[in-house]
Formats: sequence, structure tokens, C-alpha cells
Amino acid sequence: MTHEDGRELAPLYVLDALSSADRDEFEQHVHVCAECQREVASLRGVATGLMQAVPERTPPAELRARVLRAATGRGSAALGLRTVPRAGASQWIATAAALVLAVGAIAVSISTASRARNAAAVAERARAQASAAEAEATDARTRLAQAVASVGILTAPDVVRVELSGQTPAPGAAARAYWSRSRGLVFTASHLPRLPPRRTYQLWVVTAQGAVSAGLVQANRAGEVSAVFNTPADLPPPVAMAVTLEPEGGVPAPTGAKYLVGNVTGKTSN
Amino acid sequence: MFTWPGSLWRSLLAFTAFAAAIQSIGSNDASGDDDRAIDEALLRRIDEGDADALAELYDRRIRLVFSLACRIVEMQTEAEEVAQDVFMYVWSHAARFDARRGTVAAWLLVMTRSRSLDRLRARRTRPDTFQPNDNGVLAGIAGSVEDSEQRLLDAADVDRLRAALSTLTPGEREPIDLAYFGGLTQREIAERLNQPLGTVKTRVRTGLMRLRAALSGAPS
Repeated sequence: MTHEDGRELAPLYVLDALSSADRDEFEQHVHVCAECQREVASLRGVATGLMQAVPERTPPAELRARVLRAATGRGSAALGLRTVPRAGASQWIATAAALVLAVGAIAVSISTASRARNAAAVAERARAQASAAEAEATDARTRLAQAVASVGILTAPDVVRVELSGQTPAPGAAARAYWSRSRGLVFTASHLPRLPPRRTYQLWVVTAQGAVSAGLVQANRAGEVSAVFNTPADLPPPVAMAVTLEPEGGVPAPTGAKYLVGNVTGKTSN
Repeated sequence: MFTWPGSLWRSLLAFTAFAAAIQSIGSNDASGDDDRAIDEALLRRIDEGDADALAELYDRRIRLVFSLACRIVEMQTEAEEVAQDVFMYVWSHAARFDARRGTVAAWLLVMTRSRSLDRLRARRTRPDTFQPNDNGVLAGIAGSVEDSEQRLLDAADVDRLRAALSTLTPGEREPIDLAYFGGLTQREIAERLNQPLGTVKTRVRTGLMRLRAALSGAPS
């Protein structure tokens, strides 16, 4: 996909009007094109605004109790005590009534309260466990997809290995990249410092024609990175790779301090 | 039966009134950042199982959610069901919220739109192109490749956007509506409007650019 094609599709992308095939192709392009990343970010602001700019509608008052009961499984009398209605005498009366009901409920159910608490605690733990298991499964699927892509790159006949070493802002950092023109780029790093607010790490493939963004690098809390990037098939032969600190969202050409740099040694294919 | 002394009862009511006054002041004057922090604090409490926090989030954001759901599904009962789905999801999956991707309010809107479109598509019962994601809630979130933050416009910008929307030609506005609130792809829009695909692309682009210009031309 050329940059012009990408630019043309950005408005349709933020409105979710692309078929899944078009969307995949566009996302691959955006991944390596900082200009289109900015275009998408800026248009997404308009799209979010469109969701806010719809005609305002007031929900029926009884919806509140129904929604909260359905969500939490608790009776409406026990809910919203600390949430005070904004205005209106009738709402005050409702609040007072809810308080009276709640006080009554406490008095009546004092003997069953501890049993109910235990049951609620058990349910809460079960919910937390289920939610954690779900998150782990999602995480595992992502890792598996990454691992499959990584193996493909590591075993590519044209793979090139690049060692990156930490620069002045991050002397302890180190990284390694494996790049295959046909299959993409595997990047691992360790000991990257914590990001300042509103900054991101960005990985660059430096060529004789200039630096090309490979994408944004996200480190975990320990400062470790393990990521797979797509690179354009017509990338000029790389001479070096670097990680710089850039404004959030990334930039089209490096502007910030270099944190990691490594030269590409040996011959690379065109 | 346990009863409260009258004085305690009165002071409780007085305190409640005081709390309400504080809250209404806060909600009128709160800047976007304050709003954001309040929502995020509520979400953390919800994640810990605090039902009152969910009630508070409901009070703060139900109009936003309900208005958008009404716009898409166009039937009040169904919009109520969407709102219920959204807040049920928030209750059980608050931990899924990622502040790096945007604000809680934007997260709620993305979920509302996605759930509403799922219902719209189910109602259309068309056997062809639609393939709702297995988890519609995540569609709009996971699909964003860029790492930009999604956050709401402030009230003045929303007004500007509404004004700008009214200046779009029907030809620009209709394909945007069909895509964003109707869940149609560009090809389906072209078919529906009986226009060439290129025309749809151009009009969506011109329309969105004009809306963006109205926002960026605004004094900040």
C-alpha cells in the first residue's frame, strides 16, 4: 500500500467502514507510517466527537435500579447510598426512603449478614479468578502469535542479526534485533528506563536514504521488550538500527535522544 | 426493630445534603482532567467490587451512553438494554480498562457503539458480509493500531462539532452516518446510496476533514 492509498483510507478506517481485508492492509501500513498514525489519531478525535454530538436523550429513571441490580446482583435498596441525586425534592424523598429501607434491612438481616458477606466474598474471588484466567488466555494467544512470527523471522534464509547497545541516557540497556526482508523484524531489549510522561520509545531502521520507523516500542514494567514488526519490502539496505525517545504517538523522523544504537554488520540483501 | 435517634437522623440527612452540594459544584466546574481522574478512581473501586462506585459512574455517564445507544438502535427499550450490557461489562471487567488508550468516558462510548451496532446487525438478520467480532466490546479498542489516546471533546468543542455537522451537505453527512452509526462498510454504503465507491470515499473524506477543521480552528 502506498502512502497516498493509506491517507485516502484513514477517514474510512476511523469510521470502521473498511472490510476486514482492507482494514488489515491499512493497519499494516499505519504500523510503519508515522504520518498516517498521526492522521488516524487526529481523525479519531473527530469520530469520538461524533459519538458525543448525538442528540441528548434522558434515560427513564427506573433504568438506574434495573441496571445496577443486573450488574451487581444486589438489591436496589442497598445501592447508591453514597451516590446522591443531583436535584429535585422527589429524589430527596427517594434517597431518604432508600436510607430508611437500608437501615431496616440492616436491622432485620443482622444475623444473616456475615453469611451473606462470606458468600459475596467467595463469589468475588471466583469472579476475579475467572477474569484473571480470561486475561491470561488472551495474553497467551497474543504471545503465541508473536512466537510464530518470531520463529518465521529467525529461521528466514535472509535473516540479519543486529546487537544494539545502550547509549548515554541508558548505559545499562541492551537489545538485539533479527531482521528479514521477507518476514519482518524481531526486537528484544532489556533494562530500558521507565518512560517519562507522554513519551514513547520508537525503533528506527537507519538506511542510506534516512531513518525509517519500524514502530513504537512498548516495554513492560521491568524495562523488557519483545516485539515483532513488519518492515516495508522495498526498504533500502539497513546500515544501523536505533531506539529513540519520542513524543507520544511517535514521529515520522527521529527527533529525540538515542537510547540504543547498533550497526548492521555484514552484507544485507536488497 | 432498631431505630435511630432523631438528632442522628437529622445530621445524617444534613451531611447527605452537604455531600450533594459538593458533588454538584464539582461536576459543573470540573475540568476534563478532573473528570478523567474521578472516572478512573471510580473504575478502580468498581474493580474492587464497590457497587456504590458503579452507581456513581452510572450517574455521571448514563446520558452519554444512553444518547448514543438511542442514536444507533433507535428504539428506547433496546437502548436501555445496551446501557445495561455496558454497565454489566464495566462491573465484571473493570480491570480491562487501559488508561493509556484513553479516558473511561471514551471507553464507555466505544463499548456502547459496538454493542449497539451488534444489535443493529442482529436485527437486520442479513446472512452476508457482517462478521461481528467474537467480542464486540473489544473491536473498537483492540483495532486501534496507533497508540494515541482517545478522549472526549469538551462541551464547547461538541457544540462546534454539532454546528459543523449542520453545515455538511446531505451527500457528505449521509455516508458518515451510515458508516459510523449504521455499521456499513464503504462498499455497502456505495450500494445503498447507489453511488460509485470513489464518490463515497471522497465524500466521507471531505466531510470528516471539514468537521476536523471546525474543531482545530477553535480557540483553545
